[in-house]
This record gives sequence, C-alpha cells and structure tokens, in this order.
Amino acid sequence: MRRTLVLIAGLLLLALPSFLPLEGLSAAGAITLGIFLCAGLFWVFEPIPIYATSLLVIGAQLLFLSKSSPLVVARAFPFPTAEATSPDKFMATLAHPILILFLGGFMLAEAASKYSLEKSLTRLVVAPFGNQSGRVLFGLMFATALLSAFMSNTATTAMMITVISPIIATLPPGDRFRTALALAIPTAANLGGMATPIGTPPNALALGALSSAGYSVSFSSWMLLAAPLVVASLAIGWWLLMKLFPPSAPTLALKLDGGFDRSRPAILLYIVGGVTVALWLTEALHGVPSTLTAFIPIALLPALGVIGKKEIRSLSWEVLWLVGGGISLGNSLKDTGLATWMINLIEWQSLGPVAVLAGFVVVSITLANFLSHTVTTALLVPIAISLGTSGALGAGASMVFIAIAIALASSFGMSLPISTPPNAIAIATGLVTTPQMARVGVVMAVVGLVLTAAAALFFWPLLPL
Amino acid sequence: MKPTLVLLCVDDEPGVLDAVVRDLAPFEDAFRVETALDAADAARLVANLPARGLTLALALCDHLMPGTTGTDFLIALNNSPTTRHTRKILLTAQAGHEDTIRALNLGGLDHYIAKPWQPDVLRKVVLDQLTSYVIERQLDPLPYLSTLDTTRLAEALRSRHLADT
Repeated sequence: MRRTLVLIAGLLLLALPSFLPLEGLSAAGAITLGIFLCAGLFWVFEPIPIYATSLLVIGAQLLFLSKSSPLVVARAFPFPTAEATSPDKFMATLAHPILILFLGGFMLAEAASKYSLEKSLTRLVVAPFGNQSGRVLFGLMFATALLSAFMSNTATTAMMITVISPIIATLPPGDRFRTALALAIPTAANLGGMATPIGTPPNALALGALSSAGYSVSFSSWMLLAAPLVVASLAIGWWLLMKLFPPSAPTLALKLDGGFDRSRPAILLYIVGGVTVALWLTEALHGVPSTLTAFIPIALLPALGVIGKKEIRSLSWEVLWLVGGGISLGNSLKDTGLATWMINLIEWQSLGPVAVLAGFVVVSITLANFLSHTVTTALLVPIAISLGTSGALGAGASMVFIAIAIALASSFGMSLPISTPPNAIAIATGLVTTPQMARVGVVMAVVGLVLTAAAALFFWPLLPL
Repeated sequence: MKPTLVLLCVDDEPGVLDAVVRDLAPFEDAFRVETALDAADAARLVANLPARGLTLALALCDHLMPGTTGTDFLIALNNSPTTRHTRKILLTAQAGHEDTIRALNLGGLDHYIAKPWQPDVLRKVVLDQLTSYVIERQLDPLPYLSTLDTTRLAEALRSRHLADT
C-alpha cells in the first residue's frame, strides 16, 4: 500500500516540474528536476531497491534527455550543449573511470576473500598488540579500519565477527567488554571506509562528481586528506568504548593461528595486489592515475586464474550501478543548469563559506543515519559542486573540499542499526543493543562533524595537493 | 521479527515432551517450537505449515509411539519436497538396529540422541543442525546470528560478498 503510494507520488514528481512555470529554468532543467525529485523520493523510501532507482535514472535520462530519445518532444528541447544530449554519455557513466577504480578494488577484495588473505592480514596486524584487553581492542579496530579501507565495510565486518566471536565466547555472559568488542568492529569498519577512494561507495560518488566538474583528486591526495581523520576518530572511538564498556579482565585469550595461503594463485594475488596498492599509494610520485592502475588487477587476476567466472559473477555489480546512476544524475544537474538554478534560490553569500560547509556536513551526517550513505552523497554532492562552480563561495578549491567533506561525513552516520550494513550485523549478534549503538553513534557523529569541518577549514588548505 | 522457521518435537509422553521443550527454550527467540504427541498429529501439523508461511527446519522425534513410528515419520518427511531439507533427529531409547539403519538410509537422519539425554548435549546438537540448515538453505544469517553458532554464520556471511550501500 505504502509502496504503491510512493511509486505514484514519484511518477507525479517526475512530471510535475515540466508543468510548472519555473522562472529561469530550461525545459531540460525542469525534466532533470523531475528525475531528481522522483529519484530522491525512491532512494529515501525505497519502494524499489536503491540500485534499481539508479538504473531508472539512467533510463529516464535516455528517454527524456538524450538526442536519440524515442519521444519526439525530447528532441525539441533546448539543451545547453550538444554533447550532453548524446545517449552514449549517459550510458558511459556505467563504465566511469571511478567505477573502474572500484571494480579493481572489488576484484582484489574478492580474490583476497577467496584465499583468506584478509584473515591472514588480520592476524599479522593484531598479533603485535599483545593480549592486554585494551590493546587487543585497539588492534582489532586498527585491523578492521585498515581492511575496510580497501574492502567493503560490510564484508570486513562479517569477517571480523568470525575473528571476535571465539574471543567473546571466552568472556562471561554479563561482561560489558563483549559489547565493546562487538561495537568496535562496525565502528572501525564504518570509519575505515573513509581512508581511501575505494573504501566505500560515497567516496566514489564524490570523486566521480568532481571529475565531471574537471577536478581530479589522486588516490594519495585522498588518503592525505582522509587518513588523519580516520586515525583521530578511531582513537576517539576506542577511548569511548573503553570508557563505556571497560574490560573486567586485564588480558584476553586471543588465538591467532594459521598462516598465509602458499598456493600458486594465492602468491600471484599477493604480487598483483601488492603492486596495485603500492602504485595507488604512490600516485603523487609517478602520476599514473589510480583508475588506470586499477586495471592491473582487472586485467591480470582473471588472466592468471586467480579468480574465475564464479568470483566475477559474485562481484557487487549493483553497487557500481548505484554509484553510476548517482554520478549520471549529478552530471545532468550540472549540464542542464538545474544545479545553478537551485543554488540561486538561496542567498549563499550571506551565509559565508564556513556556515555553508558546516551546513552540508551536518545534513550529510544526519541523512546518512537514516539513508544509504551513497544516496546521501548522491543527493548533496552535485549541489555542493555547483555551488563551488558558481563562485558564490569564492575560491575553487573549497568546492573540492566541500564535496569530499560531504562524502566523508556520510561515513560518520552510524548511530542506528539501519544506518549501515555493518551496524545491522553487529546488532544481529545480540551483543549490542540499539541504545548502546546510538550512544556511541551520536558521539561519533559529533566527533565527525567537528573533525570534518575543522579539517576542511584549517587542515586541508595547508596540504600540498 | 516473527520466527518463520519451526522446530518440531514429537513424543508420546507429555512429560518427556515438556522436558524437551524446556531444554530447547533458548531457541525460542528465533524459532517457533511446536509439539505433537504422535506421528499422525505431527504430520497434520507439518501439512499446515506452508499455509501459515512457516517452514520446518528441524524435527526432533521419538521412535516408538502408538501408530506410525518416529522412523517412518522421518522417512515420510524425507520423501516430501517441502521437508526434504528439514534436519532430522531421533531422540529415543527403543529404536533397534534395523530401524536406525532405515532412518539413516531412507529418512535422511542427521543425528541420533539416546535417552536419557543431557540437556547441554541436546542443545548443542540442535544448535549445530539448525546452523547447518540456515547455511545450507542459504537463508539470511542475520536473524539467527545471536541464537545459533555465531562464528559459522559469520563465516557464511563473509562468503556472501556483502557490499556497502
């Protein structure tokens, strides 16, 4: 019933702007506004899966905005640029270089999971922290964040639950530290996703939108911007968990047995993965774009037999398309002049850059608690970028910072079980209650707001990018 | 969320049935525990499950009962497409060699527990069998993560290639 209502409302919103006298907005802009409102409604209320909405966006663009539209009326619309109306442009977003970067990351993560490389790495990272309770907690959080910087936060969480559940089983049922361990994993996974461009899909969306606007941010630059935030928030998260759920025993029984897979394909994976990650991290030195480097695993892992048909089929293609639809929608917002038109509705100059930045960060963190982080970013970043381009905020660099700040801020939305899939997993273990999660999540949201805004205003401008 | 998986206990002695249900209480968070006093009663109950939107995940059955024996009941379950994957356990003192072999070969028996049973052992067996059922049937492990074997279910979750949204 609700689903039908949302679907009908979406279709009405799709058509509505074209029938309203919107001063200063082109016909193509009005159509894009309809698509934007309809997609927004579908993304928020999810009458259909969010990736399906993304694909509908591209479908609607082809139908209403492309030169080859079967609808005769569409061809009559005055469109800002001839290039923007080519159907190829809309279709090409499904193979956007940023998505190729993600695909490379997906393939590495898939191969890592096939040969249990993530588990082996976890042991390697956690072992040096010893067996003192507080140190083990930090070691686990550090390993989780490190892995989720390169793998999906959700897959990292599932894997880390297999690592912590034997530890938890050794603690007495009433021990509060069980909650600390179970909550540490999703917290660290959500935070770790911020660290690299491939850590989590909102990052891809911000980078995709920036690249459409003509700004490229290198892998290493992103890490330079984001990693300090991850480290700082991770430390605060650890301190908070230790305060709220202190360990009752000084040490933990930590069993980290098992080594690395030494089979031929596993060793080939270590080489390909090692080279790829090394090239990503050193992008600033050699200048080979990370999107190009991503083709090393894409080209080599199947060729070397490290992954096969089965693994390729189980890649999260829907996530790539979710991001692709978001980037495509952002492009139309920009190309049809809709974003500029929306921006002109508000007197931004009177607010000043600091208030604008803080505003976007607050909205992003708030929305991300209830919505998909990718959707949150998809709705906010195009507007933020156009705001930067319009010159309403002064310097051009601030626009890059606002876009990245929005993407990073979304990762701090983690106070509810529905906020992120890692949170849902942690709640399902039965070791964490929703109020406990909310308590930690709300503090992390405030931490995120302060850290992100402070970094964007004071720290990032100092970096040599 | 209301449980959709059923755990069925069949025994002709009400006292035994009560004891089994008491021992399996920890599973009631994620499963519906149903009881029957004989095979005919149990068969009727099983036949009505699909209409109620329920699936039989595990049958825990005594062997010697008035009417159909537990072994024959399990064989019937194993031959029906809706209960083919149901995990089947005999909880009995009186099943002979012949019957046990039939239960194993024809009834798809997954485990045999001798009476009198240890509550801890019973719970462990049921926990393992239900965990295997959830993994083998590729059900979403999340609703069962806290009730069943967390490590094994998390491992299943890990191999499901989960993505962020």
